[in-house]
Amino acid sequence: MDLLAPLARALNEQQVRYVVIGVGGANYWSHTAGLVFATQDRDLFLPPDADNLVATWSVCEAAGFELWLLNEPLDRPRDRWLADRIIERRALTRATSPANLQIDLTLVMKGFDFDHVWREHRVFVIDGVEIPTARLLHIIESKHATGRDKDKLFLATHRDALEQLLKKPEEG
Amino acid sequence: MDVMKSTVEDGLRILREATEQAAQIRIELTDEYLALIAQVEAMPENQAGADKSWVARLLQWSTEHYAKATRRV
Repeated sequence: MDLLAPLARALNEQQVRYVVIGVGGANYWSHTAGLVFATQDRDLFLPPDADNLVATWSVCEAAGFELWLLNEPLDRPRDRWLADRIIERRALTRATSPANLQIDLTLVMKGFDFDHVWREHRVFVIDGVEIPTARLLHIIESKHATGRDKDKLFLATHRDALEQLLKKPEEG
Repeated sequence: MDVMKSTVEDGLRILREATEQAAQIRIELTDEYLALIAQVEAMPENQAGADKSWVARLLQWSTEHYAKATRRV
């Protein structure tokens, strides 16, 4: 079974709002193996909503994930007060599983606010679990806006793969 | 069978070259690239409710495959 699916099922049951973004999100838009990029991380984009963040942490802990802020375990109690502080700083919390899955719980998607992404997200299904996923266009535009070296490498490779797979041969 | 010999220096050199290359890349969201993205989003395989379990399987296989990789010198 996919490593994210059981967690996503629990998040859905608790009505947590999130969308998958990043390379993991882009992978779900693949229609062929040639567009799937190796990654062990998943990026979940969350709204700036303390109750939602607390619920996310709670689900992650119940699923056996450890929670981190930078390189330190996330402080306790993991309550609304702490969530408010995290949201004020738009800080990233990270959940790591014994199975070596790393999930970044981010409140920031460069160039976008959550509601915009949420309105246009698409639901894909993995192992019977619904996975809310950001539009491919939004993921690509955000990576372009972020412009880190690793984002540029991804975009260059992704664009090349799309051209190889989709562009019609020149008529001649 | 030929076996490629590698050293830590080789690995570091490759990483250094990749970093330098990445810093020089200029990616523009051209109309052509955006049209390809729109084409992907419109595919029947990418409509709401599409089953993407195969993507998860492929990633899992890839992770396990490379986790077993060993260096031969």
